Amino acid sequence: MTQKSSFLTKLGQVVAVLLVTALFVALGLWQLQRAADLKESLKVATAVDMNVVPLESITRPRQAIPPSALNRTVSITGKYIANFKAANQKDGNELIQDWEVALLQVGDRSAILIVRGLWSERLLNPDIAQSMDIQIEGLLVASQDGDRARNQPGEISRLDSAVVTSLTDLDLFDGYVVATSEATRDQSLERTRVVPEKLQSRIPGFYWQHLSYVVIWWLMAAVVVFLPFYRRRVST
Amino acid sequence: MSGALKRFRVMAIIAGVMSLLLWFVDLPVVYLLNNDDWKSMVAWIPFVHGWIYAAYVLTALQFATKARWSLKKTVWLILAGTLPIASFAAERRVVRQYS
Repeated sequence: MTQKSSFLTKLGQVVAVLLVTALFVALGLWQLQRAADLKESLKVATAVDMNVVPLESITRPRQAIPPSALNRTVSITGKYIANFKAANQKDGNELIQDWEVALLQVGDRSAILIVRGLWSERLLNPDIAQSMDIQIEGLLVASQDGDRARNQPGEISRLDSAVVTSLTDLDLFDGYVVATSEATRDQSLERTRVVPEKLQSRIPGFYWQHLSYVVIWWLMAAVVVFLPFYRRRVST
Repeated sequence: MSGALKRFRVMAIIAGVMSLLLWFVDLPVVYLLNNDDWKSMVAWIPFVHGWIYAAYVLTALQFATKARWSLKKTVWLILAGTLPIASFAAERRVVRQYS
């Protein structure tokens, strides 16, 4: 009876060790997968495709931007229906300035945010009427996820269509476009354009963080396997 | 035994400091403040804390094994490294008992 219970205890310990080891190994594999996913998403996000494509051919309103559409140069035609100040925005040269952002109606039912240029130059083209068709080329960028300022009338806290949803019934595109050129039927609109934030070609620290957690989890798995032998060695 | 105790004490103090940094510097900056520059300045804290905690667990296991502690007591010692003050308290208790 005692032999049997001792055997069962040992069996229980072996099963527990194997379960905990399997858990740690699985956690390591999970971190390895996250590192691989991150690397893959960065490959897509940092790829620069200079071909100009119509906005609606690569993304749709009310849907998240597909990774393949990010940082593409797009062309859009529409009418400006609202103007906002986006304060404290940082450009690709690390310069923090206030930007002029407009909501461009595309077709009858959709709209997208356009970074037109510096807020200080907003009065440069007073002849643009809201009914005028504007042709825009620019870089399609993912929405910002952190506020740069306070949301108040005439001002948006971040470049994200979610902050203007209450102001319009139109279907909004995810992300925003940093305009590189604007033109009406008759003329090109000249003003200082915002330099988009530089794409990171380097893998950020999070990748190595995931990999280091792989090492930690697998080290813990090895410790759990080794511990019973170590206890036995210490007790003898 | 004294070597294992010394190693545990050193790691308990370092892990305690890292836990304080994690709970009272990193987490408030990441979840309460909205500043990307500050977030990137504190990004090293969870990374270093992860490694320090792994080393703390190793020293705690070695010490608990040599002191012939029960599994329950050992688990408490390991968990003490996750809370800011608990690893300091564990270190003090161990010193009182074994020095």
